[in-house]
Amino acid sequence: MFSKILIANRGEIAVRIIRACKEMGISSVAVFSDADRDSLHVSLADESVCIGAASAKDSYLNMKAIISAAVATGAQAIHPGYGLLSENAEFAELCEKCSITFIGPSSDLIRKMGDKDAARKTMRAAGVPVVPGCDIIEDESTIGEKADEIGYPLLVKARAGGGGRGIRTVNSRKELKNAFQTASSEALSAFGDGAVYMEKYLSPVKHIEMQILCDKYGKVICLGERECSIQRKRQKLLEESPSPAVNSETRKKMMEAAQKAAHAVNYVNAGTIEFLMDKSGHFYFMEMNTRLQVEHPVTEMVTGIDLVKWQIRIASGVPLSYNQEDIKIDSCAIECRINAENPRENFRPCCGKISFLHVPGGPWVRFDTALYQGYEVPPFYDSMIGKLIVSAKTREEAIRKMQAALCELVIEGVEHNAELQMDILSDSEFKEGKYFTDFIEKRGYA
Amino acid sequence: MLRKDLFRRPKNELEDYFKSSKKASAPDVPGEMCILCPKCKSTLFTSSLNENCRVCTKCGYHFRMNARQRVDFISDDDTFTELFSDMRSKNPIEFPNYTEKLKHARLESAQKEAVVCGTAKIGGFDCALFVMEPNFMMGSMGTVVGDKITLLFEYATEQSLPVIGFIVSGGARMQEGILSLMQMAKTSGAVKLHSDAGNLYIAVLTDPTTGGVTASFGMEADITLSEPNALIGFAGPRVIEQTIRQKLPSGFQRAEFLVEKGFVDSVVNRKDEKKLVSKLLSLHKKEDL
Repeated sequence: MFSKILIANRGEIAVRIIRACKEMGISSVAVFSDADRDSLHVSLADESVCIGAASAKDSYLNMKAIISAAVATGAQAIHPGYGLLSENAEFAELCEKCSITFIGPSSDLIRKMGDKDAARKTMRAAGVPVVPGCDIIEDESTIGEKADEIGYPLLVKARAGGGGRGIRTVNSRKELKNAFQTASSEALSAFGDGAVYMEKYLSPVKHIEMQILCDKYGKVICLGERECSIQRKRQKLLEESPSPAVNSETRKKMMEAAQKAAHAVNYVNAGTIEFLMDKSGHFYFMEMNTRLQVEHPVTEMVTGIDLVKWQIRIASGVPLSYNQEDIKIDSCAIECRINAENPRENFRPCCGKISFLHVPGGPWVRFDTALYQGYEVPPFYDSMIGKLIVSAKTREEAIRKMQAALCELVIEGVEHNAELQMDILSDSEFKEGKYFTDFIEKRGYA
Repeated sequence: MLRKDLFRRPKNELEDYFKSSKKASAPDVPGEMCILCPKCKSTLFTSSLNENCRVCTKCGYHFRMNARQRVDFISDDDTFTELFSDMRSKNPIEFPNYTEKLKHARLESAQKEAVVCGTAKIGGFDCALFVMEPNFMMGSMGTVVGDKITLLFEYATEQSLPVIGFIVSGGARMQEGILSLMQMAKTSGAVKLHSDAGNLYIAVLTDPTTGGVTASFGMEADITLSEPNALIGFAGPRVIEQTIRQKLPSGFQRAEFLVEKGFVDSVVNRKDEKKLVSKLLSLHKKEDL
């Protein structure tokens, strides 16, 4: 087991990981930018190292500074959290070279799954259903034919894509060329790789993902699904587990597919297989995330398994002590992301000083945040300032609990989206569980 | 804002329920992983520096490249065929410690001599190529370097091939005394015969190109290119200052200064070298003349 871990992240996820370290008796090293000097994760950790200027590229994405901090403090492992360097194969490789354990899969695997086209092929070969589409477009003159074969509407997607970038929807052949060129050039500037492929655009569709946990000895367990269809501009807003739209038969099939996918690539550590599910319950592999997800707490709440602690244990070589049959999901959990943005002003991000903070409490209510009263939310990073998670025996009870908890959440000093979350929870389509990824736009919330 | 000692430390011992877990080792950075840019002082990863043709990603400083890296970088994939690779220096005037120096240089550079010669294709065009090795006694010219370059020019003359030379050198190899100085005349003769036969010679001067090499085949090319800020000269600036008792102008003996004075035709960034050399080769193709 590691005696010291460096957390290469900030905000609530850094706090979350430091808490796991404290429970496990592991010393924690926080890294921070100039703008995060007064952050909660810095105070909470046993040691802290400043790694650069406010801009993420100079600090939280500064691989040299982070590796140097790990070497200087003698940290044996680095937990990358989510976002930032968490799916950066180059960073994972650097850690490997410096005998620092990267808490996540190997650099090879990150690279393999980061190439969305290769990932699709791997999954198809493993017998996991994949959205109908074509391979990487080598010759621009053939796109018309290929697109007609797939049928409209379709998506042009970047091989290196992520975070909704490098994706274009195409409704007819005349939009194709333009979409191809913009997706490709956007991907080239964002990821340095302009290669794109096409796949059928399924609509309406649900975003369902399966959480898996794999140890170094080939054991794979699936911790059930999370439904993340409440999205704005492909950014998730609210997640729940289990999905109200997945029946036990589909769940079984999806879990099998997820396990197949994990075995196909010899996956190690925590990972997420994202699926798209259409109205009739057919599901297709979309991509695999080789890291901890923002919404991991909903799975923790329904399974009682601490994913972060297991990530650390697996990385240190501990075998999984659970078998698939030990995983019992008998409650419902919902997570609402609290973002410092104003829904009334086109979701403009807000920053400023937290003048008052009240965190909701009570049984089965969890608020993951790095906020404290007097904290100044810096303008440089992601606008998510907290995650409110509740669980209850039934979905209806969980919705009620979340409504009550959101009322109790008071954050003064910055605008946030708690009211929008309450509107979503009271929406009849949401309550019925018959919502799709177009929910936010269709119901007029954005 | 938050006090450093605000939170107490839990009295939890290191979790060890699972006896199978091993104790993790301390981090250890391999020595060759990072390199400091001498110009802008930023730390660079050797791997990304190599991917960027050994040019600093921050300030554009051109790091030295060894001969094999250059050969790979300039020639088309799998087209380089080495010539005269078995020639090795001896100690002709029994200069003290020279034999050990040579042994050390071979180990350090993993090359048998301070120049690598051969034929290759650049941008699809056949040419004879010589690349000097900075890690072998700073590319100094002894009898073997002189022989290899002469042989390459003779071969190129015979085959009607253009010669592309990447030059880096501290000058004549003093451990071989007068014999090394004689290489200046020998190589120059070979360059002249190659030129008289109507063949093209392009020299790319890299940091540093000095002494007897500058004074012979370094300055005898039809087209002389140079990498940015390369030191190019015969005697060093300090020696000149002491001899003429005058302060030298700024940028003296640097590539850009020499372009201004007409000694060098153009300064070219390493990334553009292959493109430019290919273009020059295409413009000077024999069939077009």
